[in-house]
Amino acid sequence: MSPGGDRREFRVAIVGAGIIGLFTAHHLARAGFGPIVVLDRGFLSNGASGRNGGGVRQQWETPETIRLARESVAAYRRFGAEFGYNIWFRQGGYLFLATDALELQGLDRIYAAVRAEGLGIRKLAPEEIPALVPGIRSEGVAGGTYLRQDGTLYPFPAIWALYESVRRAGVEVRLGTGVTGVLRSGDRVTGVTTDPGGELRAEWVVNAAGGWSGDLARRAGLEVANVATRHEILATEPLKRFLDPMVVRLRDGLYFSQTMRGEIVGGLTVRHPPGTGHGVPTSIRFLREMSRALTGLLPRLGPLGILRAWSGFYDDTPDGLPVIGEEERLRGFVEANGFGGHGFMLAPAASRRIAAVLLGERSDLDPARFGPGRFALPGRDHAPERVQLG
Amino acid sequence: MADPRPRTVEFRGRPLALPAGATLLAGLAERGLPQFQRSVRYHRPRAPFCGVGHCSQCLVRVNGVPNVRACRYEPAPGDRITTENAWPSPRWDLLGALDLVFGRGLDSLHGFRRPVWAMPLYHRVIRRLAGYGAPPTADPAPIAPPREIRTDAIVVGAGPAGRAAAARIRAAGRATLLVDRSPVTAPPADVGLLAGVTAAFLPPPGRDGEFRLAATRGREGMILRAPRVLLAPGGYDANLLFPGNDRPGVMTAEGAMALLDRRGNPPFRRALLVGGGARAMEMVDRFGAHVEAVVAPTQVHGTIAERAAELDIPVFPRTLLTAAHGRSRVRSALLRRRGGGETTRLSVDAIVLAHRRLPHVPLFFQVGARMEWRGSTGAYYPVLDDALATSVPGLFTAGESAGFVAPASAEASGIAAAEALLDRPARLADLPPRTAGEGPHELEGYYRELLAGRTGRGKLVACACEDVLLGEIDAAHRAGYRGIEVIKRYTSLGTGLCQGRYCVPDALLLLAQLESRPPSEVGFLTQRPPVLPTPLDAWASLPDEADPEAGP
Repeated sequence: MSPGGDRREFRVAIVGAGIIGLFTAHHLARAGFGPIVVLDRGFLSNGASGRNGGGVRQQWETPETIRLARESVAAYRRFGAEFGYNIWFRQGGYLFLATDALELQGLDRIYAAVRAEGLGIRKLAPEEIPALVPGIRSEGVAGGTYLRQDGTLYPFPAIWALYESVRRAGVEVRLGTGVTGVLRSGDRVTGVTTDPGGELRAEWVVNAAGGWSGDLARRAGLEVANVATRHEILATEPLKRFLDPMVVRLRDGLYFSQTMRGEIVGGLTVRHPPGTGHGVPTSIRFLREMSRALTGLLPRLGPLGILRAWSGFYDDTPDGLPVIGEEERLRGFVEANGFGGHGFMLAPAASRRIAAVLLGERSDLDPARFGPGRFALPGRDHAPERVQLG
Repeated sequence: MADPRPRTVEFRGRPLALPAGATLLAGLAERGLPQFQRSVRYHRPRAPFCGVGHCSQCLVRVNGVPNVRACRYEPAPGDRITTENAWPSPRWDLLGALDLVFGRGLDSLHGFRRPVWAMPLYHRVIRRLAGYGAPPTADPAPIAPPREIRTDAIVVGAGPAGRAAAARIRAAGRATLLVDRSPVTAPPADVGLLAGVTAAFLPPPGRDGEFRLAATRGREGMILRAPRVLLAPGGYDANLLFPGNDRPGVMTAEGAMALLDRRGNPPFRRALLVGGGARAMEMVDRFGAHVEAVVAPTQVHGTIAERAAELDIPVFPRTLLTAAHGRSRVRSALLRRRGGGETTRLSVDAIVLAHRRLPHVPLFFQVGARMEWRGSTGAYYPVLDDALATSVPGLFTAGESAGFVAPASAEASGIAAAEALLDRPARLADLPPRTAGEGPHELEGYYRELLAGRTGRGKLVACACEDVLLGEIDAAHRAGYRGIEVIKRYTSLGTGLCQGRYCVPDALLLLAQLESRPPSEVGFLTQRPPVLPTPLDAWASLPDEADPEAGP
């Protein structure tokens, strides 16, 4: 876990030792593509990969995302057997709640898209919901969708597993090593500068820096649309099992599930003024709004104690879809970011496509939908992914 | 005055008369050491440990609400109180077999992965075992309307330092609010008192220079606003790691005090008292007739040795506690002189920890005060300048959290910090020396020997809330993981109900040994608000717009 060896030339430098960076390193190493170095400014699991709620869902509006999610669910089911660490991936389902007719229309779109991909999503009437969420107040619930194969996992062991696996495969992981700049020669990337460490040469640089990927791209002289937004989350005292699905309410982005240990873990969307930097403080406002939302829906949880709250960064894009592909403006610089709070749930499948870019393999992702240059394209008319929650 | 008549409650289905004015814990202690639950992973027998509402070892269910701490709860007539996480009872729990089946620990990181088709079954079984109490079964009564109080100065902590400070600030004509989570009586004249109120979250002050302290009393929440805050939250008695350290009967000095019955008798007859300093001396004075021996991992102060000799209590300085035996109650302890000396077996019925005091510092971390590691206590303290100011403008501190432990020096520091808060001259140099100084911690050597001489027999519980074993920390280290933040995420250490109070300080010293670097480089855990688990209802009832605009 130290800054690592003294090799200075690599084929690939991956910036970010989160789930995207490590999974990409895994696929590349397996294809014999190396040498690879993974650089991270913090400690392992310091970023969003260690701060998320562990949800993995397949309910989306865009077919490509549904396919990525479906492939990821299959990969997480096998993850423990394959990588040696138990991530406790539990398919307790995802329940989306609509509050009014307009939101029901939104659920209809999700329902149609997920059905079209052949998944067994169900529409639920308000009276069917208490069976899934004991104690829920049905006032204000207009209906829901439910997909039993969605689930939750425990993020940390996935990080440990991939960290150990890629290191066994010869990948160098240098933690506590921040990337301070991107080296180029003409329109081609040639490496990065690091602190500590100085210059590292690399043919390929993969930007998997999560909430910091916009910063990194800009440091490479690229104009990108990524915006880092702070999101907060809390955990309650542990209870005996009572809740199986992850519950998501469209209106305010409230989401919560019960972990294997019994804690209720969840958050909701609270907008913070921009420009508050990359600090990860908790706000009284979040604790208040989250408590109001949760106890409004499940009043009996009111006496339950909040055990801890924390926050992390979403790496958001204007259309809610990730950015995957090589920058045309800077050859060899591969964007692998913009997952907007869904990096963990899409990582197994998305990282295959990221690795495919370096390996020169064909990808099923349309560059006009996922490519780095798409925000500059005139007359973009494709549908954004609107399901930004949970 | 409170009603002096005994209260009749229903405890585990039977009527039970409890003395008035006593906590549920003290009331039950009349009948011997109570046991309320089993531990969360191995269903090991557990009994009350800390006595001050931090640990996870006296949880009961009261009127359908889970996870209520018996040591902080004063029962009302007619209460229905039950125990949880044990069947049929905390003393005879069938699931206690888990402790034997997984005698060498249960590896939830690597185990239960195969076959893939069996995973849902593992999930069902383990989710039924996990957690403490069952969810509340009924919707609670509505909560109180939002409350906001503005004042000139907030003082947190009504110990000697906080009381002296509040009195001095008030004497200068400033409106002063004294906040304490215990039921405090008789505040200094004209000082507003919020007793039984937990100072739960103090974010950095806003652009306007004002502090907003989120505080809770039961399910009621409130925001306290003031341009000046003085934190004097005091300290607590620390844990100690040794094999069998989670056995019923092992408790802190504060835990022993919380278990006194009406006549002031402790729930033990032959206690092993751990410690060699001022706190241990207090305990010798308090429990002398009930102390079998004094054992200290380090030197024993001369005054204790003398006092113990008067009382005919044997003293074992520089001695390791190598084991506590007894399944449902401590029966004996094994001692070994440090440096490979002889082993002694003592027959005891309790082990009282009075070897180390630690400051309460979460509020300082939350508010963004600059902190420094002080090796002699092995804890972080707020940095103070010569004029007794912290690094946060408007924030002051006194008492044990500032390094002034003895009541007299705590009081003096309270007065001096109040002067500083009032913009009058005050000098750190004029105060008595702080107990927390430089240098390595005395226990580092103890832990070096403990690690070297471990036999592997029996469980050493490094984090009691989550049942994390010392072996798991060892395994994480061997797998290459370094630093307390990563070890926490790898092992779950410090993520339980006590929020790391009783495991992280010792884990820092242990990791310093394993990683061969000073504890301050092993790091600290980011303080996650709130300071203590506080009800969702209390947070929901806070007034709108409580957050300050982000500071400059």
